[in-house]
Amino acid sequence: MKKLILYAVVGGIAFVIGYFVNDQFFSDRAPVQPINFSHKIHAGDNQIPCQYCHIYAERSRVSGVPNVKRCMGCHQIIKTDSPEIQKVASYWDKKEPIPWVKVYNLPDHVYFPHKRHVRAGVDCKNCHGDVASMARIEKVSSLQMGWCLSCHTKREVKNGHDCWTCHK
Amino acid sequence: MKRRDFLKFIGIGGVGAGAGFVLGKVSKPPGAKLIPYLIPPEDIIPGVATWYASVCTLCGAGCGTLVRVMEGRAKKVEGNPGHPINRGGLCALGQSSVQALYNPDRITKPLKRKGPRGSGEYAEITWDEALKTLAANLIELKSKNESEKFHLLTSPLGGTIDRLAGEFVSAFGSSNYSHYGLFQRKNLAFANLSTMGTASIPHYDIENTKYLLSFGADFSSTWVSPVNYSNGYGKMRQGTGERGKLVQVEPRLSLTGANADEWVPAKPGTEALLALAIANTIVEKGLARDASAWRGVLSRYKAKDMASICDVPVERIEAMAVEFARTRPSLAIAGDSVSSYENGISGAIAVNILNQVAGNIGVIGGVMPNGDDLGNGKKIDFGRKISTLISAANADKIKTLIVYGANPVFTTPKAARLEEALSKVPFIASFSSFMDETTAHADIILPAHTSLEDWGDDFPDPGVAAPVASIIQPVVSPVFETKSLGDIFIELARAVGGNVAGKITAPNFAEYLKASWKGLYSRNREMAAGTLGFEDFWNKALQRGGWWGPSRKMTATVSARAGEHLTGAPARFEGEEAQYPFYLIPYAQTAYMDGRGANLPWLQELPDPMTSVVWGTWVEINPKTAASLGLKEGDMVNIESPFGKISAPVYLYPGIRPDTVAVPIGQGHSHYGRYAKGRGANPIEILPYKEDPLSGEAALNSTRVRITRGATGERLVKMEGSTKEFGRGIVQTVSPSEFKRMKKEVV
Ligand code: SF4
Repeated sequence: MKKLILYAVVGGIAFVIGYFVNDQFFSDRAPVQPINFSHKIHAGDNQIPCQYCHIYAERSRVSGVPNVKRCMGCHQIIKTDSPEIQKVASYWDKKEPIPWVKVYNLPDHVYFPHKRHVRAGVDCKNCHGDVASMARIEKVSSLQMGWCLSCHTKREVKNGHDCWTCHK
Repeated sequence: MKRRDFLKFIGIGGVGAGAGFVLGKVSKPPGAKLIPYLIPPEDIIPGVATWYASVCTLCGAGCGTLVRVMEGRAKKVEGNPGHPINRGGLCALGQSSVQALYNPDRITKPLKRKGPRGSGEYAEITWDEALKTLAANLIELKSKNESEKFHLLTSPLGGTIDRLAGEFVSAFGSSNYSHYGLFQRKNLAFANLSTMGTASIPHYDIENTKYLLSFGADFSSTWVSPVNYSNGYGKMRQGTGERGKLVQVEPRLSLTGANADEWVPAKPGTEALLALAIANTIVEKGLARDASAWRGVLSRYKAKDMASICDVPVERIEAMAVEFARTRPSLAIAGDSVSSYENGISGAIAVNILNQVAGNIGVIGGVMPNGDDLGNGKKIDFGRKISTLISAANADKIKTLIVYGANPVFTTPKAARLEEALSKVPFIASFSSFMDETTAHADIILPAHTSLEDWGDDFPDPGVAAPVASIIQPVVSPVFETKSLGDIFIELARAVGGNVAGKITAPNFAEYLKASWKGLYSRNREMAAGTLGFEDFWNKALQRGGWWGPSRKMTATVSARAGEHLTGAPARFEGEEAQYPFYLIPYAQTAYMDGRGANLPWLQELPDPMTSVVWGTWVEINPKTAASLGLKEGDMVNIESPFGKISAPVYLYPGIRPDTVAVPIGQGHSHYGRYAKGRGANPIEILPYKEDPLSGEAALNSTRVRITRGATGERLVKMEGSTKEFGRGIVQTVSPSEFKRMKKEVV
């Protein structure tokens, strides 16, 4: 009987460890994208401002995934011999959007407007990290409620602790 | 520790960790995709809503809407607060119009019949082929000099699209364009034509009245312009002035009746006599304001004689008469419990007389006639009847029939033998985007847009004693390969050629509509005020949802000649009382109306406001009657008239006369999509084929039925558990005297 309990305890502890190993080390913080797109080259080396491509960030809830026409705007001419750019061009030729993999995901019960944050002067880096140095985009914030609130507290956001501010 | 145990621990640990890892993996949301625009549309910002003003077309009331559109999808429809008809309100049907747009059962492409008629087997064809096929059929008709054998049957269309459809039919050389639908309230319009000289429904100023006597008008749920009246009713009860009183005369308590201060369940078919008895009492007591024309006629309807016929005590009739005449202003409205009988015109005239005697016509808080000041109102043509169509079809006088919007196979009694008549029509085309019962008979289907995708306009009837013109504009691009209704007519005209193409020359319906509004603008100087020319006016009207002017008071002179239509007898019901002991009242249900709402799942799951039943049909029976028949709630019964039989579960309803049963209209579809099909029963099927010879309105309250126990079957699904409080004190009450005392104490 004593042994049985011991087995259960050991099994239980191992289960929890297994779960956390998966959650912490195997979560897709930097998933492989359909195009090997580098923010480092664009935002870092060439210093293209974020909102040149994420055009809705100041005007809408969503920041906007760059439309394919915007990519082709430059890459019709620039680096056309790169195989990755040729991949972009082939999406464009087929008139198909590029199916990017989502990195930052919020559950449906959270209302998060980019607009309010950008207009309040919150730097993109605050949440998305030093994108300019990332060859492949990587998730740097937990996006959990405590994480949101700690910033709301620090910045003394008006009604920043109200349930209804984010859960509408 | 033994080596054996150690290995066991390792094993268990391994399995545990593995299980934990797998759970961690599966509990994570799957990697969502971010799909960008290929080329971003200029006027769309994802995540930001655009609101368009338009008009709800789910019933004839013409409520103004604001539609919330995001990323090119219509997400939510709200009432337009600036629109004079609904002032921001919207009924359940209007709310559900997005479900008509995105309905999974829409006809998405033109179809051509494959199997035998009514089999529902269709093959997809191109628009080009569809238009050519229909045009070829029409051209052949024309070449044989049989233009008159072309019929167009639509729902009661109004405004510019009605004019275009009319132009098409007459240019083709036919005079057979008819409107059909239940609840057109043509009896009311005809009564108004013969008493007040205009074939329209006046504005009933419920808002400002202090005593409202409603003859079965369920104006807070389905009657005529429910959102407008509900709004007025709210103000009448809780507005700034003294609280108005509502008295409802009807055999079955409707939602409106449940709100009334008094319920007068007169015997079905005698309500018109009650109205005349009230009018006569007013005259006899010397309280009449304008009775010169009616003294003689009214003297035949003495309260003491009518009391037993109507099953309403003399004292009550007299009390109502005195209160109706003394309270200023008062208003009587002719709803379905006077106008839905075979002598419905007589009933509606009786109520008009009552209003005139009490001096309620042309006064604020009374009956305010609507002028047709824009010269573009719905013209009710009493000659356009379904019976004309049926007899023409039976006499082989219809070779080609086009149907749009109307669903007569569902809304006409079986006794009319409409389906048999349709089988004699060699070629039927439908412009419907839903496979309703009538469209299922079509040989070819050219699906039109729903109202959220189409252009149009609306001149509400009844108006609000002020000129109102609203614009319907497309709020999203077409979801499927459907076409604008107007464009179908225009392109068909082009394909038919000859003088039809010569008459209808507009490039598309949007242009046709705009040209029509240009004409309206140039004819009405009021519209021009404050605008910089037509384009400016048009853009402003599109933004606001239309154009409306200030209200104007109109009076009407009542013609005594209307008296010739008074029958002075109770309405007849088919079936002998001994065999068929109960009056049958089929009524328009809040959500389904005449059945059009049944394919929208929101409406199916919306509990009926009086019974809380969802997804089905029920029959309302007084608990006393049910006890005498040995029936309890939920029992399946057969409802049998001399013309047929339907079955439905029993709902025990204390708000109905013991000699009456009521069944909601709207369910019992044999087609019309997955949500409507094969659910409940259609009470219209068992009605006699009775149509008013003057107005063409169907008589719904016209048969008796018997109730017999049926086979077990459909379950009664309802939200409410019990109608009793079981001492829980849910509804607290105080007597009026106690209330007055309490009020004094507070003040
Ligand atoms: S009453 Fe309802 S269905 Fe009729 S127009 Fe108004 S919102 Fe639409």
